[in-house]
Amino acid sequence: MGDEVETDTAAEGVNQINQDELILQQQRQIEREISETTALVGDLEPISSLNSEYASDNVYLEKIKDLASKYKHVRRTRPDGNCFFRAFTYANLERLLDNQDDFTSFYKLVENSKNSLVELGFPQFTVEDFYDTFIEVLQRVGEIKNVNEAKKELHRLFNEQGYSDYMVVYLRLLTSGQLQKDQEFYSCFIEGDRTVADFCHQEVEPMYKESDHIHIMAASAAMNTGVRVVYMDRGNSKANTEHDLPEGTTPSVHLLYRPGHYDILYL
Amino acid sequence: MSTPARRRLMRDFKRLQEDPPTGVSGAPTDNNIMIWNAVIFGPHDTPFEDGTFKLTIEFTEEYPNKPPTVRFVSHMFHPNVYADGGICLDILQNRWSPTYDVSAILTSIQSLLSDPNPNSPANSMAAQLYKENRREYEKRVKACVEQSFID
Repeated sequence: MGDEVETDTAAEGVNQINQDELILQQQRQIEREISETTALVGDLEPISSLNSEYASDNVYLEKIKDLASKYKHVRRTRPDGNCFFRAFTYANLERLLDNQDDFTSFYKLVENSKNSLVELGFPQFTVEDFYDTFIEVLQRVGEIKNVNEAKKELHRLFNEQGYSDYMVVYLRLLTSGQLQKDQEFYSCFIEGDRTVADFCHQEVEPMYKESDHIHIMAASAAMNTGVRVVYMDRGNSKANTEHDLPEGTTPSVHLLYRPGHYDILYL
Repeated sequence: MSTPARRRLMRDFKRLQEDPPTGVSGAPTDNNIMIWNAVIFGPHDTPFEDGTFKLTIEFTEEYPNKPPTVRFVSHMFHPNVYADGGICLDILQNRWSPTYDVSAILTSIQSLLSDPNPNSPANSMAAQLYKENRREYEKRVKACVEQSFID
């Protein structure tokens, strides 16, 4: 390395390829392939539709049977790293449309959330952009009297990338806010010596970052909505494992977790 | 057609005009809001002082969910700037947050000029000189500063 110092200015750094851009390019290619084959939020499908993914895998086929004994339908979401946030927001709004009072109190919760985020130090200018879209979606589906029509509109908006992603961003910000507001509690769930704020900047706020248990805990607390996650994996038991978050609440949203991905479940 | 990205970039531009941070400026090019030109003035008390460094910022329709591509057009000698002007800065890659706007991007790059990170080098010679031969490093940087007047 020492003698490289002698080379002239024009040649410096030329041997270094811009690795970051190569990685980003490859990542974009993979994302394109996924987005061409899977809708952001799919249609309702029977639980048995999962069978085709596990043609001769008896462990999973047994677990799908167990799942089918409790749930009627599954709704797939695009595996783009945002699946938990997208699935949770969609499923929550969908069930709120069935109950006017719950919808109204949720609307109020969202209305108050912007100021809490700004108080926590989030930049008002950009938070507003996402907040406005979240509220716009609530208003657009909320003003439709016929519940089925409202659900159709929700489905349409969630498959429009612009709206759908902004909904995801806002829930990510609310989740980050929840983690930071309650950092004493959440800090023990974070591995390594990262602070809660660091964790939020690296793992919660950026789009396409996958969600863990801690994201779900904070998101369900922020949305004041209980969620049941049904874990389906290669484990030996015949039944799937269930977790309710926050602990002890009655879940209003049910999600199916298979390693690396969340879909929505319907009783 | 107005898309979320374009709408947001109009907002970013408005804010940059109404509340401009010190030492940076930027504006969309005449016929394309997705491509911006920007200038960062070298921060005081650093070897970059007095330099006027030009950059381009290219946005995609996925902004602000994904970061734009930011590149120095002016020749730079800096541990975290590639030969092609590309910038190695965490918030432009894996630590990007949709809460950043153009203003935040430019001020972050400005602070990168004051505080290089020689442990993740994009230009290994600049990183090495920065760590081991600060006088030579500053000499090289000052050459860039002078060149920035001509560009």
